Amino acid sequence: MPPLPSLSRRDFLATGAKLGAAIIAAPYIARAAASGGGGDTLNVALIGCGEEGRVLLNAALKIPNIRFVAVCDIWTYNRRFGERLLKKFGHDAKPYEDYREMLSATADLDAVIVATPDFMHAEHTNAALKAGKHVYCEKLMSNTVDGARSMVATARETGKLLQIGHQRRSNPRYIFAHDRLLGEAHILGRVTAASGQWNRAVTEDLGYPANQAVPEDVLHRYGYANMHEFRNWRWFKRYSGGVISDLGAHQIDILNWMLGANPASVMAGGGRDYYTNHEWYDNVTAIYEYPTATGTVRATYQVETTTSAGGGYHEYFMGDEGALKMSENPKYTKLYREARAPEWDGWIAKGLIERPGTGEGALPPVKPWEKQRPRLPGARSSTVDVRETAELSAWDIPVVLDKAIHQPHLENFFDAVRGKGRLNAPGEVGFATAVTVLRVNEAVAARKMLEFTPADFTA
Amino acid sequence: MSDSTNPTQEPSRCEYTAAFIILRLFLGLRSFLEGLQKFESNGTYSFKNYYANMGHMAQGITGASFLPLWATRSFAHALGYLLLLLGAALILGVKTRATLVLTGLLYVALSFGLMAVEENEGVAWLAIYVSMIAGALALVRYNRFALWRD
Repeated sequence: MPPLPSLSRRDFLATGAKLGAAIIAAPYIARAAASGGGGDTLNVALIGCGEEGRVLLNAALKIPNIRFVAVCDIWTYNRRFGERLLKKFGHDAKPYEDYREMLSATADLDAVIVATPDFMHAEHTNAALKAGKHVYCEKLMSNTVDGARSMVATARETGKLLQIGHQRRSNPRYIFAHDRLLGEAHILGRVTAASGQWNRAVTEDLGYPANQAVPEDVLHRYGYANMHEFRNWRWFKRYSGGVISDLGAHQIDILNWMLGANPASVMAGGGRDYYTNHEWYDNVTAIYEYPTATGTVRATYQVETTTSAGGGYHEYFMGDEGALKMSENPKYTKLYREARAPEWDGWIAKGLIERPGTGEGALPPVKPWEKQRPRLPGARSSTVDVRETAELSAWDIPVVLDKAIHQPHLENFFDAVRGKGRLNAPGEVGFATAVTVLRVNEAVAARKMLEFTPADFTA
Repeated sequence: MSDSTNPTQEPSRCEYTAAFIILRLFLGLRSFLEGLQKFESNGTYSFKNYYANMGHMAQGITGASFLPLWATRSFAHALGYLLLLLGAALILGVKTRATLVLTGLLYVALSFGLMAVEENEGVAWLAIYVSMIAGALALVRYNRFALWRD
């Protein structure tokens, strides 16, 4: 048996001290490793720990090298939720009620995520930018065009990055459809029409635990009339642009992006026809006219908050050779070929499209013991009118997002902060979308068609 | 008082013969073409396709039921040849009574496999064929135009 190394009393104490220090430091070492560690780690703060803030937190927590160092919310209940959630994932985020205090007290802060009600976006974003932080701000950029314009101006003045939360622009399926299917393959032919919709069933107003209400003086200090409006700000005019902004903004942004143009005009109808305790319209239908590079495209957009019928939420682009139905939900996404269009089999070979394996357009499921049946070309279902054209064939897009839907957009923001790429939805894009969206409410109120000029979209 | 009931008119032997020949030809064609299809894949017919198709069928049935692979594979490998043989025999009229019995038994065996995987639609179709075979056996005495009579 080899002799054991001799250990003096001094050596023993020194080794013991080192071991003890290592044991005490272990959780911190592990925490740093969990959050990525290293010089590439970004220190991030969240302003607004409500519904959307939590969605963004959960998405951001899946991204390596992000360390949340502060959370801010005027409601203690929300603030504690954010703080505790972050602690669970090893982030030691300091809680603040006032964003000004947070910005001045937090050293080494790289970026701020703003997920507050729309009417506070400009104030929070401008303050963070002026404090030298990069900002990811939820859509709609602001509930006023002036507010949105000030955000673009501040980003330019400070040289800091401003990403607006139109997260579809970072969704790989949307990018694939925009760049490859429409941009490279022009698979739809001449696009002549588009539509978008978000139909959602009736929802109850948000409540709050009776013993957790924000004191009235605090609510008033931060611009809220009462607790009901604080919780349901999306329905009230002083805080928000209503449903066209809350739900429509995401999809109207995609109309602008996919069509490669801003609209020339909009007419719209809508009203508060169902809910009696809200201010904003509960349904809006708009018709835009887009002057695109290949001709005029008319696009309808509908948002309903009293019915989920009509196929949920999607954006639909219709051309003379095909149509593209996009949605964040892959089950609503589909590509259709007009019978008169050139065969699309070549696009399969190039990996641009694929035959549906399941759902619409797919062959009936074959049982394990059955023989595979060949696909019969050009099979038509019954035609009830001579004016009907041949049925469109359904195809799939071979790209599916396998992450939380906000994660790629946050990743794009953090990559841009590190100098590794460009923002997919910078302030200028968010501004054009805000103009496109907010004009709908004006058109509803005016009950007539309103024109845009190109200058309207320039901040 | 006289009985006023009208006398019923019995079908003639000729009509029974016609009914049977229609049944025989239908069942023969159905069996023969079903057997032939088992050799097809992507529009081509070959023994290679046959063993691939039958192997797939055996694996599928075994995977979805209690039936062992050796049993489903043995049955599947014989099935196509039996269907061709029995189908041709029915069309040509070779030992029709025995052929009908064997065809009925083959369909019952096939139904057993489909029952084991709860393929109720397939079982229902086979039940129709089995009923037709039973009807054909009731009329087999009127068999004519046969190559090799019973």
